[in-house]
Amino acid sequence: MMLYYIYDGTFEGLLTAIYDAYYERENPELIVAMDNFTDNFLIQRRYIDTDEKKATKVHNGIINKISEDALTNIMYAYLSEHENAGKYILEYLRFGFKVGRLVDSYLSDDRVHNIHKLARKVSRERHLLLGIIRFRLLSNNIYYAPIDTQYNTACLLGDHFAARMADQIFVIHDVKRNYGVFYDKSKWFISDIDTKGNLDLHEKELFYQELWKKYFESTTIKDRLNPKLQSHFMPKRYWKYLVEMK
Amino acid sequence: MELIDKIKILADSAKYDVSCSSSGSDRKNKKGGLGNAAPSGICHSWTPDGRCISLLKVLFTNHCIYDCKYCVNRSSNDIPRASFTPEELVNLTINFYRRNYIEGLFLSSAVWVSPDYTMELLLKSVKKLREEVNFNGYIHLKAIPGANSALIEEAGKYVDRMSVNIELPSSESLKLLAPQKTKKSITEPMGLIKSKIIENQEERHRFKNAPYFVPGGQSTQLIIGASRDNDLKILRLSESLYKNYNLKRVYYSAYIPVSDHPSLPSISNPPLLREHRLYQADWLLRYYGFNSNEILDEKNPNFDELLDPKSDWALRNIDKFPVEVNKADYYMLLRVPGIGVKSAQRILQARKVSILDFDDLKKLGVVLKRAKYFITCKGRYFQDRNFVNNPPMIRNHLLLEDKIKINEDAEQLSFFQLYPQIMNPIEKISRITGEL
Repeated sequence: MMLYYIYDGTFEGLLTAIYDAYYERENPELIVAMDNFTDNFLIQRRYIDTDEKKATKVHNGIINKISEDALTNIMYAYLSEHENAGKYILEYLRFGFKVGRLVDSYLSDDRVHNIHKLARKVSRERHLLLGIIRFRLLSNNIYYAPIDTQYNTACLLGDHFAARMADQIFVIHDVKRNYGVFYDKSKWFISDIDTKGNLDLHEKELFYQELWKKYFESTTIKDRLNPKLQSHFMPKRYWKYLVEMK
Repeated sequence: MELIDKIKILADSAKYDVSCSSSGSDRKNKKGGLGNAAPSGICHSWTPDGRCISLLKVLFTNHCIYDCKYCVNRSSNDIPRASFTPEELVNLTINFYRRNYIEGLFLSSAVWVSPDYTMELLLKSVKKLREEVNFNGYIHLKAIPGANSALIEEAGKYVDRMSVNIELPSSESLKLLAPQKTKKSITEPMGLIKSKIIENQEERHRFKNAPYFVPGGQSTQLIIGASRDNDLKILRLSESLYKNYNLKRVYYSAYIPVSDHPSLPSISNPPLLREHRLYQADWLLRYYGFNSNEILDEKNPNFDELLDPKSDWALRNIDKFPVEVNKADYYMLLRVPGIGVKSAQRILQARKVSILDFDDLKKLGVVLKRAKYFITCKGRYFQDRNFVNNPPMIRNHLLLEDKIKINEDAEQLSFFQLYPQIMNPIEKISRITGEL
């Protein structure tokens, strides 16, 4: 029988699972979010009860006994939604509690390498998104940016845009995961989104979109066309909401 | 004229300026304001030529009193002309910025009426952005050669980066192709900006709230292939610009024929490979601890077309190799072909806790294609021992492995120039290099 840990999909749930595995010396084959779990008869299931106290203990333990970087790393790995993320995080933390602060120097150790690989993917997508999300001004004066991302990166965008677009109300909408990053000119927060509402564009919106498209076309050097390079930097999967690629 | 037609004309005229960097500045947003600068820089889109768009790059006007032969905006050229007003520019910048199309503004201009007249218009535009609409995003402003130094100095208070384009790498080429420009009209504003930046850095060191002066530093651009200057001459010029003027970047732009004047070379294709080699060498100067004499000399004043400058250097200095990866210091690691800043730093980090072999290097992301001829791990050489100290044999193999690549050269060529910002969660390493 393969032992699977099944948690509620939250970061706290995952930390609780780590706590249970650590203190009960279990080696689950997989630590999987409820929504991604598919059952078969070879699996022994263990449902994790998300427990804030346990989660906090793990959280603090990481910061005190390993490092803040390690916490960032597992957070990013978690956001990758990779099916093995939970298991990799458990292995990384077990190793981290053994070797402490220097864990991230073990670059060629699989327990560390796996986490770094996932974290780097998420981090790259986040950086790309900082540049390529596009706000549209709606008739109610809200700047609205729909995104369709590979990883769960929307929640990593709040700080950046709240500091930058400090004087405008905005929403970044993760269309696939149905939640949004909201900013109301004083603070940002995350909330579910009801997509039934109508999105009327501001009367000036299309004017600026046209100007931007014209700029995009005009700044291209036609003697040096290299569309392969273009999609290398800006993969096609992100073009859907890019004003200039329509 | 409609705004959209102005954009068409004035973006088209500005696009041969290669700089797109938005890095190096840490300007913060002000209360109730719009925008800030990201020290690492951010790319916002990529055009079909594979270049990144970071800033809204436009000319204020393409009306020009000069007639520089290599330039598309030369007065004798019959092209549509346009000018923005400062209000239009401000409006365009903040509306693009609010939609996250851009990281800020890169404002340049042809010389309209006179250098002072033009500089005043540029100054008026950036001042409006900062003071009237509280815009704190990135601004790169071109200083107009020949403009009054008081104007240039004042503009520096509002912008993140300034640049004066040298364009032609020697006085002789200037005389031939841009007779109305002089070396002095270029170096004077560069010197002024440099000394003001140093002054400001000291001031900001003492008073944290002292106003900024060009916090992102200054840069310039050289055109490659419009004149007969060789690579050595260009590289030495860059080196002295980095040393004597503290430039952040020198950009190289392969000359794209925009005119068939008899003083200009007739070329069918822009010299992209040469441009690429110059960028590689430029990186060796800035981040790898090389000096120009190690890369080129009077006997070999031009780059090897087939081999990158670092491999070329390594083969000429084969007595220094192979180096032991577990012992070599940072700067020696950086001299190994195929090992870049990131790889070298990862090696140092991993060495703290373990002794590395070739498999470890692969996991660290070190590309062994080139490096394997020049290193040992735990005393072991990866290749057949016959390669040790055998430059012709290594060279042949490097070229052989490159051959496949060269056919896709367009991709390879531009890659270095446009090297993207790749972040890890800690975002430490990338800070060193910044976005181009």
